Amino acid sequence: MQPFTYARAESEEAAIRAVSAGGRGTRFLAGGTTLYDLMKLGAETPERLVDISALPGLSGFETAGPRELVFGAGARMSDVAADPRLVRDYPVLSEALWKAASQQLRNMASLGGNLLQRTRCAYFRNGEPFACNKRVPGSGCAAREGIDRGHAVLGGSEACIATYPGDWAVALLALDAAVDVAGPNGARTIPLEALHREPGATPEVETTLARDEMILRVRVPATPLGRASTYHKIRDRESYAFALASAAVALRMEGEVVREARIALGGLATRPWRAREAERELAGRRLTPEAARAAGDAALRGARPGHHNAFRIELGARTVADALLIARQRA
Amino acid sequence: MSDTSFPDAPRADAQDKVRGALRYAADDARPGMAHAALAVAAVARGTVWRIDAAAARAVPGVRLVLTHEDLGGVKPPGFIMGGGYGFQSIQPLTSPQVAYRGQPIALVVADSPEAAAEGARLVRADLAAEPHQVTLDTPEADIVAQADSPLPKPMFADVTVGDAAAALADAAIRIEAEFRHPAQHQSPIEMLSTVAEWRDGHLTVQEGTQNAEAIRHGLARQLEIEPARITVLSPSAGGGFGQKNSLQAHTVLAAEAARRLERPVKLVVSRAQVFHGGSFRPASRHRIRLGADAEGRMTALVHETDSQTSRHDLFPTQYTELSSRLYGIGNFRGRERLVRNDVQTPGYMRAPYEHPAAFAVESCVDELAYRLGRDPVALRLANDAAADPVTGRPYSSRHLAECLRRGAARFGWERRSMAPGSMRAADGALVGWGVAIGAYKAATAPAVARLRLLDDGTVTLGVGGHEMGQGMRTAIAAVLQRRLGVDPGRITVEIGSTGATPQHLTAGSWGTATVVPATDEACDALLRALDALPASRTPAERLRAAGRAFLEVEVSRRAPGQPEAVIGRLATGLPAAAGPAYPEFVSFSHVAHFVEVRVEPTTCRIRVPRIVSVADCGRVVSPRTAASQLRGGVVWGIGAALREVSEVDPRHGGFLNADLAEYVLPVHADIGTIEVEFVDEPDPRLNRPGVKGLGEVAMVGVAPAIANAVHHATGKRLRSLPIRVEDLL
Amino acid sequence: MDRTPDEPSDTPGAVSRRPLMIGAALAAAPLAPPGIAAPARAQDAGDGRLRVNLTVNGEARQLSLDPRASLLDTLREGLALTGAKKGCDHGQCGACTVHLDGRRVASCLTLAVQADGRAVTTIEGVAREDDELHPMQQAFIDHDALQCGYCTPGQIMAAIALVREGRAGSAEEIREYMSGNLCRCGAYAGILAAIQDAAPKMRGA
Repeated sequence: MQPFTYARAESEEAAIRAVSAGGRGTRFLAGGTTLYDLMKLGAETPERLVDISALPGLSGFETAGPRELVFGAGARMSDVAADPRLVRDYPVLSEALWKAASQQLRNMASLGGNLLQRTRCAYFRNGEPFACNKRVPGSGCAAREGIDRGHAVLGGSEACIATYPGDWAVALLALDAAVDVAGPNGARTIPLEALHREPGATPEVETTLARDEMILRVRVPATPLGRASTYHKIRDRESYAFALASAAVALRMEGEVVREARIALGGLATRPWRAREAERELAGRRLTPEAARAAGDAALRGARPGHHNAFRIELGARTVADALLIARQRA
Repeated sequence: MSDTSFPDAPRADAQDKVRGALRYAADDARPGMAHAALAVAAVARGTVWRIDAAAARAVPGVRLVLTHEDLGGVKPPGFIMGGGYGFQSIQPLTSPQVAYRGQPIALVVADSPEAAAEGARLVRADLAAEPHQVTLDTPEADIVAQADSPLPKPMFADVTVGDAAAALADAAIRIEAEFRHPAQHQSPIEMLSTVAEWRDGHLTVQEGTQNAEAIRHGLARQLEIEPARITVLSPSAGGGFGQKNSLQAHTVLAAEAARRLERPVKLVVSRAQVFHGGSFRPASRHRIRLGADAEGRMTALVHETDSQTSRHDLFPTQYTELSSRLYGIGNFRGRERLVRNDVQTPGYMRAPYEHPAAFAVESCVDELAYRLGRDPVALRLANDAAADPVTGRPYSSRHLAECLRRGAARFGWERRSMAPGSMRAADGALVGWGVAIGAYKAATAPAVARLRLLDDGTVTLGVGGHEMGQGMRTAIAAVLQRRLGVDPGRITVEIGSTGATPQHLTAGSWGTATVVPATDEACDALLRALDALPASRTPAERLRAAGRAFLEVEVSRRAPGQPEAVIGRLATGLPAAAGPAYPEFVSFSHVAHFVEVRVEPTTCRIRVPRIVSVADCGRVVSPRTAASQLRGGVVWGIGAALREVSEVDPRHGGFLNADLAEYVLPVHADIGTIEVEFVDEPDPRLNRPGVKGLGEVAMVGVAPAIANAVHHATGKRLRSLPIRVEDLL
Repeated sequence: MDRTPDEPSDTPGAVSRRPLMIGAALAAAPLAPPGIAAPARAQDAGDGRLRVNLTVNGEARQLSLDPRASLLDTLREGLALTGAKKGCDHGQCGACTVHLDGRRVASCLTLAVQADGRAVTTIEGVAREDDELHPMQQAFIDHDALQCGYCTPGQIMAAIALVREGRAGSAEEIREYMSGNLCRCGAYAGILAAIQDAAPKMRGA
């Protein structure tokens, strides 16, 4: 691992200033579960780390407010997953958290850092001899003609088909969350939908955050849809694995009829993927298994298979369908 | 000693293990230790024409960088299956040739693990790549018929019994199918780790291994020094599963670095590098033709295999040892071929041949049951063997039918409805019940056992064997306790380290059948020697009464029919086990597995909520550790059937998913109820205590039982492992 | 009974949740402009190494660390506490599990410098006395919840934490919350039984 200097920030402002002043090689360090992991692989080579993991102002969360839920970016995934109000009123959020990683990692990883988790693409992680535009821009993409079983069927480009691996962001996306960020030039709010980028020609740029911008908190509008919600995650094993396909759904039902549906996909796309077309088509329909399946198909419309991942288009549609039926039972 | 079952007793080393006090090789931590890291090749095959270690040497704390330019003097270890000691014949860093991606090209040694890793990252190599081939789908020129190869015969000759072609032609029912098994990795959680240290010209190596003597004699060959100048310490291995059965490629590098630096050197091969740094289960392909008469009597079986080997070694296969002997089929033809790939030499991984072969054969037997409309258990019982079909000799013992009957009763098999897709769970999941059987040779290795009784009543037993979790220490202690009446707290078992007694390879499920009879005979010898002393209440009192401080005996034991000369192989660290065919009989352990799967109707996730496994491994000497070993074998079967595949990108060679997130091992949430049971009948023809082997047979048949259960649930015959959601969508 | 001074109580309700601090930075008000906060505190000792204070198994330790060092390597190589094991070095196996301020973490993915000022408990520190065993350790013996033993310290540290988190309610829950700890020998059934046995003993102690 390349040597780096380490400093612990005592305030958000100091952290931002330090990262901003430090230049290109300076990075925020939160739980470290992604960054330190990738540093060990040589996929990340920061020169200066500014530790924000102990900032007390970032670690809280409030789920009782009438208008919105507020999650400090430094709150640990495990603590938030176990919040009784979240478990009861927003199962999609709780499930997205506890179905991710392991309890050890959830005790370390922060909510803000988790949003920025980087892809599991083996060609990205493992370096030489693999070409990877994310790792070395312009070097090519070994995955496109390679073992792409886990790669994206939605949102890919010629340059990159790496899957966004996270769960939390997918659930947040379904609930129209936003993140408050701060940088040297002040604070702004980014809708979650605008936080992650499709790879396009520049897959190394994964979000719309500037390098010296820091996520302060995540805000989720309070909604009755939260109750009838779920995060359904299909993996190669029953736990402690990334999604082959996942669906975050939330429903507002009127009897058998869907009044409003939220559907977001995980594990299938290059970024957290909102399936608005499927949502629109489902609204006003009776939620039969057939309607759920049709919504699944709509959610995957436009998906493009590679060499080994075509099954995940079908799996994704079925995952959405199952998720809708699970959520309906909670309505 | 075999008249009665052994009592339940705790695992001998459990106290140390739960305290974290047991020392594995890499747990040697002390000031002055240097830390090493490997740099590896990024091409699938080629030549290093320039290597630049300047940046690595410039890293603060780096003390030494070794490349092929430094280690030309180190000799190759020889291949373990070719009269040598190494998991493969070639030694990395002794030439510029690169035979596979992931092959080490430099060793960096530093004052800290961080500096060593950074140095390794900075080693720059220019490699000239050459064409490579890494899959079974390879030109004919790279396929070697084992029967025509230089591999020793009759051990690696094709098995032929009767006239399979004719019997197949006459068969009323023929089943023909091809099966594929992927490459897989043993992945013990203890990574390949070595601490090497020289003192006064004597090399001490600490390494978790199944074969301390091979490390010792192999290093002696590589470094051209006397074996007497090398000690290998391996009191405990953090899992082996076949990976640690020989001299690894990294060990001599640590030894060389320690010699040059005059410091102890610790080399922990990183998890990604372990996927290329040791052996693996080769990918294999199995073509089966099974013939039966209209009553369901199996009359003919043809089993043709292709299995990966490396460009530089012929890793032999014996897939047909299982298929030719699992049932009493009178006509059998086997043909085993090896496919040369540009990979490190593959090797043994738990039930190396038996598990893939059982997957193929037992899937076909299930298919036969469905063609006949016959219950799969009844069909198997009707085809049980009375004698070994290959040699005509009797089995030393065979309780397969008992395993099937007990298992079926415990599982509730009679409640199964035959038609695929006919059983459903309350939540709508498809339920499938499947059965399959397994066998594994009951082999035995020669052993020297030395037993010492002190006048304070303590006992020390040294014998050749390695503790890697299977419970060998516990089994030995159980014998000593029964024969000598000494309680476990007074027993010391010295195994796994060279010096006292020869440390033969522990593999092939021969551990217990090797050390338990040897321990038993050592007890005989000790009790005879005690008989010469004045009578008293306990052995220790007899010693004291005779004024003796201690009494020591040594016995040397060979497998039935083994020549005296085999002790010479034992003493030089070469494999010397015998079985399953002995002069008077043939000896196997058997198992029957009953599996319930549930297939989620939409997303087709396969869950395994319940397995019942009944094994015959002869007398069970350590019931508690044996039950754990059987359950563990079942977990391995679940992994092999539903999870594990070492992915290969043919363009790049090597293995792509070289970590424990992407190489999918079963986790807690994957494992449901596993009920195990033993026939626990001694097999006194094989050895007086009547023990056979367990570690490998435990896994054999689990994968086909799962595949058969998936068929029962869904109607789909899946012939390529692992079975995953995409196979059922 | 099984408590070490730095760890929270065993009652499920007492799982340590970070105090809710929705202070100035977390309220909806925009962040104060830069320049008014304290600077990031540099701890550099001059040679690139950092001075770090840890409490390990109740004992205060002062260390001079390479910033790159993991907590796992620091415990093992620096403090000779080799109970925590390295099985992957990437947070993928759980063999390195220790408790940091009472919570289970993967010590291989924890920068040791991030543990500055915090309390670490390793397998060597879970029993109150040298000759005693924690109820979870005893249960692992009683149910033969191990084979080679290499993953065992991590399993036990995870299991103790799991009971404290209140996650020992059902077999299904235990399996889910133990899934971060791989056991290649396949001792999962024994581990489940051990946790079911030890959980009431921990609560009652």
